[in-house]
Amino acid sequence: MRIFVFLPLLLVAAPAAAAELAVQVRLPNGAPVPNAVVTLYPGGRPAPLGAAPGAFRIAQRDLQFSPFVLVVPVGASVSFPNFDNVRHHVYSFSPVRRFELRLYAREQARNVRFDRPGIVPLGCNIHDGMIAFIHVADTAFAAKTDSAGRAAFANVPAGAAVARVWHPYLRAPANQVQVRVAVAAAGRQAQAVTVNLRAPPRPGRAY
Amino acid sequence: MFAGRCKGRVAAAFVAALAALGWSAPAFAELPRLDLPADLTAMIEFRLVLTDGERSWTDGGFGRSRFGGGGDGIDVDAVPANAQLVWHGPVAWNLEGAVAVAAQHGQDQPVDLIEAFLAWRPVPRSATRFSARAGMFWPAISLEHEGPAWSVPDMITPSAINSWIGEEVKLVGIEGSVAHPVGGGRIAATFGLFGFNDTAGALLGFRGWALHDQKTGAFSRQALPPLNAFMQTAQPQWTTPTLEADDRPGFYGRLTWQMAAPVILEAFYYGNRGDPEAVTPDLQWGWDTSFLNLGARIDPGPNTRILAQLLTGTTAMGFEENGRRWIETRFRAAYLRATHRIGRAALSGRLDLFDTRQSGSQVGPDDSEEGWSLTAALAWRLSGQADLILEGLHVDSDRGARARLGLAPEQAQDIVQAAMRITL
Repeated sequence: MRIFVFLPLLLVAAPAAAAELAVQVRLPNGAPVPNAVVTLYPGGRPAPLGAAPGAFRIAQRDLQFSPFVLVVPVGASVSFPNFDNVRHHVYSFSPVRRFELRLYAREQARNVRFDRPGIVPLGCNIHDGMIAFIHVADTAFAAKTDSAGRAAFANVPAGAAVARVWHPYLRAPANQVQVRVAVAAAGRQAQAVTVNLRAPPRPGRAY
Repeated sequence: MFAGRCKGRVAAAFVAALAALGWSAPAFAELPRLDLPADLTAMIEFRLVLTDGERSWTDGGFGRSRFGGGGDGIDVDAVPANAQLVWHGPVAWNLEGAVAVAAQHGQDQPVDLIEAFLAWRPVPRSATRFSARAGMFWPAISLEHEGPAWSVPDMITPSAINSWIGEEVKLVGIEGSVAHPVGGGRIAATFGLFGFNDTAGALLGFRGWALHDQKTGAFSRQALPPLNAFMQTAQPQWTTPTLEADDRPGFYGRLTWQMAAPVILEAFYYGNRGDPEAVTPDLQWGWDTSFLNLGARIDPGPNTRILAQLLTGTTAMGFEENGRRWIETRFRAAYLRATHRIGRAALSGRLDLFDTRQSGSQVGPDDSEEGWSLTAALAWRLSGQADLILEGLHVDSDRGARARLGLAPEQAQDIVQAAMRITL
């Protein structure tokens, strides 16, 4: 389970009545879905982000991006260290943030700032098999599901909330589904979400 | 099939050699690695070959395989089949290059250039992706081969279709591609212009289909089987696949649909626009060759892959006599292949069907041929550096022209091979 480091900063603003909400994402056959991003909108509105977004990183190691999915708040800066012995040419043509980084072998420090919410698919122009996604969230309640398919949130304000579940290969418009959750005033609460995934694309041959 | 006391002894020797290879296999896990730059790879392949049946076309026979029997028993060969050095890496940002050289057993050039090209891949500005390539290369027809050295993973012998692409359809050209995502998948189109492929079709016209892994080099010749009396006066018993004879460019186009499901469908059309009356001083002729290839790659599960290709085309060479050129050949072939991975092993099976129909003025129906083959292979990844592949191939073909050599028109051949591929 990964929760933003900036999440605790919000606690000051959270109302007194609050609960812990765990969202469990599964396939129809019950298998957990890791790497799904769950965002929570109490009262249907984004929970305000903190002032200090923290440090985020997508490494290139063994010709792969790591992590495969990264959740960051709007305004975050992400570093792209290259630990490989070969060059990488990281890019995204996403309207959320279009960029291109020419990274020499074992090059450590390059940063990109993400000022708009949305999905930023990443690729390497040299290695077609390298794929990753940055989910730039506009709500403080944003987390990626762990290997058990679980994302948990503490201090969720009581009342009606909207939970969105996004996964790069989720079979739904914009790769996202939305559920309504009635968050209790206190205690631990679980919310199950069942999704269907497409098979991940296998890179075709370059020539 | 293999039978008889002598054959039994030879087969036993082969099994013993194979066992020795298997016994020494753990040693390959700890091979010294050459301190090569990251973009450079070297590979050497040792081969143990057990074959019966007729002599190979590379040895003056009509055999369908690179290795042939003596015609009256079993032949065993232990050969360093292939050694190759490949450089594949970035030349500049957005520009990559590849150069592959290889030394192959049985080729006339000790070392030859296999591929050399530059590929321009600008960073996409939108979901539409553009790329271009120029140099000497095989156009993307084979679903079995991969990499600049054009290797077949998991098997030794490619299908009849891709054996022919490997020996005759390498060109010097330029191609442009555009790819766009569609419905969770991708559609890509490629168009290419080329030269230096005017003799493509000579092997199909004179020999017909074959099953082998010998790839043509830039300066190599390929042997032809015995020619009839007339053709012996017009063509030496070899062909130069990378050759420009008529100064007319050819073209090809390719459409690929990579579906949201793990299915890729391809259609490829090739026309070399060869002048069938063009001839070089050493009697290499232009062949007017065109073909359509349809391909499908399906991954029903994470460890299973199914490949299928169907190729149909025509070729013609020489002058017209009575409305027919000297050689006019219609050729067709298809294969269905399945590969299943279990841990470090991969099990493959393939069925090939092929035929050629001759209607030229200097060849007769006797030169037509039909045949089929079944291939089974077990590949075992011993380490990151060493792969052991065992393969059995049965090929059966019927061609009347064999009678010219006093052979039965229908011939069957079995080839058992063990390959050790070592990456240094």
